[in-house]
Amino acid sequence: MIYDEPIVRTLGDVALNIEFGDETSVVLNFRILTLDHAIRQHPPKGLIETNPQVRSLGLVYNPLITTRDALSDHVRALLKGLGAVRSLPSRRVIIPAWYDDPWSRECAEAFGVPHNMDYIASFNHISVPEVIAQHTGSDYWVTGVGFVPGAFMSYAMDPRLKFGAPLYRTPRTWTHARLLNFGGNTSTIYPIRTPGGGQLFGRTPLNIFEPAQKNRAFKDGPVLARAGDRHRYVAITPDEYYAIRAKVEAGTYDYEIEEGVFDVAAYLDWLKTVEAGHV
Amino acid sequence: MFEVIAPGLATTVQDVGRSHGQALGIPPSGAQDAFSLRVANLLVGNPHGGPLILRDDPGAAGLEMLLIGPKLRALVPCVVAVTGADMRPLINGTAAPLWQAFALKADDVLSFAAPTRGARAYLAVHGGIDVPLYLGSRATHVRGGFGGFEGRPLKAGDRLRIGRATQRFGDLIGRRVRPELIPQYAPPHRVRVIKGPEDHLFAPASVELFFSTPWRLNAKADRTGFRYIGPPLSFAPGERPDYLIQDAGADPSNIVIDPGAPVGTIQVPSGVEPIVLGVDTPSIGGYARIGVVITVDMAAVGQTRPGEATRFVPVSHDEAVQALRAQEMLINDSSLAGV
Repeated sequence: MIYDEPIVRTLGDVALNIEFGDETSVVLNFRILTLDHAIRQHPPKGLIETNPQVRSLGLVYNPLITTRDALSDHVRALLKGLGAVRSLPSRRVIIPAWYDDPWSRECAEAFGVPHNMDYIASFNHISVPEVIAQHTGSDYWVTGVGFVPGAFMSYAMDPRLKFGAPLYRTPRTWTHARLLNFGGNTSTIYPIRTPGGGQLFGRTPLNIFEPAQKNRAFKDGPVLARAGDRHRYVAITPDEYYAIRAKVEAGTYDYEIEEGVFDVAAYLDWLKTVEAGHV
Repeated sequence: MFEVIAPGLATTVQDVGRSHGQALGIPPSGAQDAFSLRVANLLVGNPHGGPLILRDDPGAAGLEMLLIGPKLRALVPCVVAVTGADMRPLINGTAAPLWQAFALKADDVLSFAAPTRGARAYLAVHGGIDVPLYLGSRATHVRGGFGGFEGRPLKAGDRLRIGRATQRFGDLIGRRVRPELIPQYAPPHRVRVIKGPEDHLFAPASVELFFSTPWRLNAKADRTGFRYIGPPLSFAPGERPDYLIQDAGADPSNIVIDPGAPVGTIQVPSGVEPIVLGVDTPSIGGYARIGVVITVDMAAVGQTRPGEATRFVPVSHDEAVQALRAQEMLINDSSLAGV
């Protein structure tokens, strides 16, 4: 459900959530990111940081400097002035990946579950090559970053290619770093070795989180993904995987990141024609 | 410089923590009981930083020591203070005071007795523990492997540098906290909570139960999450719409991923074992939140020992901010004796 008016929710004494709905929606996320940009351009007194996610915007503030009411009034005023979202700054990031990789298989075996790639294929009634074609066939919109350092949530922008698989019932106690996975329709990558319940289907040689910030892709911070990025996955061979990984470890890999502005209005028009079945 | 002879159970370098990491998945980290660390820093004349969670100023770094303290050799003379859990400091085996600044000579060995009250003690040293700032803080985040001393708990053989002294040791030695300000950490712990944002998803009787039951801390509690044992909670009845089953999951505790996981958030997956998120919290969550622990009471959460009882008490937002303001007033020299 998308609310008529965003709901301002209290989270303890130092945080507020501006909640736009209770469902997963890339379109909702466009409005949230627009509000986030507006707040960053006109930061209210006492605001410490913002945290945009798929359906809500988190705010952390200092209640000794401002009040909850003053902050929500400021946000409501900004919301009134927003209007329709026409465009958003958005980078396009190419992510090479070895699909159906041995590390994903090793994790499944260690936890005594079927190979996740086979499960994803059968869950969606398609073949493994079709899983790869489908996942590399659409841009993925990053709605928010979080959970463990560098982790992110992303969703297929072409609704015809939307797919996924349910999370494990009991999460694994560990997962190799840099494994691609699905949790429902959410596509993401484990940045570090961590517990998790995502269905594993590939591995990227890229660092998603690089605390040492060796590569210039990390010059502004240790995290690759940003809310509002478009990710495009590219299937690579094992040889290509190892060649790229060596460069990543040396800090010399040239991450393919294109800065740009995303035409939200044109995308929404296109989405309407797709949903009407005209494409 | 300190040499680590024995590391203790989980000794980490911490300050008040880092801000501006929420949108990167980087938790605040820092001392789980920031009040104790800040008072320890105050005792030894260090910058003590801003209040817990706000982290606009990380303050000086000290050591957080969990249940079993380390054994440290001072390689240079220094002034230290130990606060928090009653892990009594011992200088070469002889008792030294808690909540009071005292001197160590070169070659003195500092060790700690097992605590009877509280779970985490804090060691501050004049000049601070000198590790590089990472994203604006010296706090260790162990899972991410960054901050603090090489991004990990201390090991035997580590050498910790001490920052430059700015005051005469004689002016610091003997500074102590007024006794009435020293927390006792006696169970049942009283932890104040602001209800919501999803208390409406729970059955009203379960919200009442949550605030009337003594909860026991699960032994698996850590700085990411403190799990509490008690009766199962149930959710408000009602048909679950298909889009929520699709987007969030079939369980009534599942909500679509949301930025609402600040420190203190209480999630209740499947209605079983409420989890209070600690300072190493993930920055997003997907479980209904019955309430959020107020900032000043995260110290009591961090000082609860496994098995001890806690009562969660509902308070208003105003009461929480007043408590925060009152605590900020305490963290200055007027709270000290021997000054």
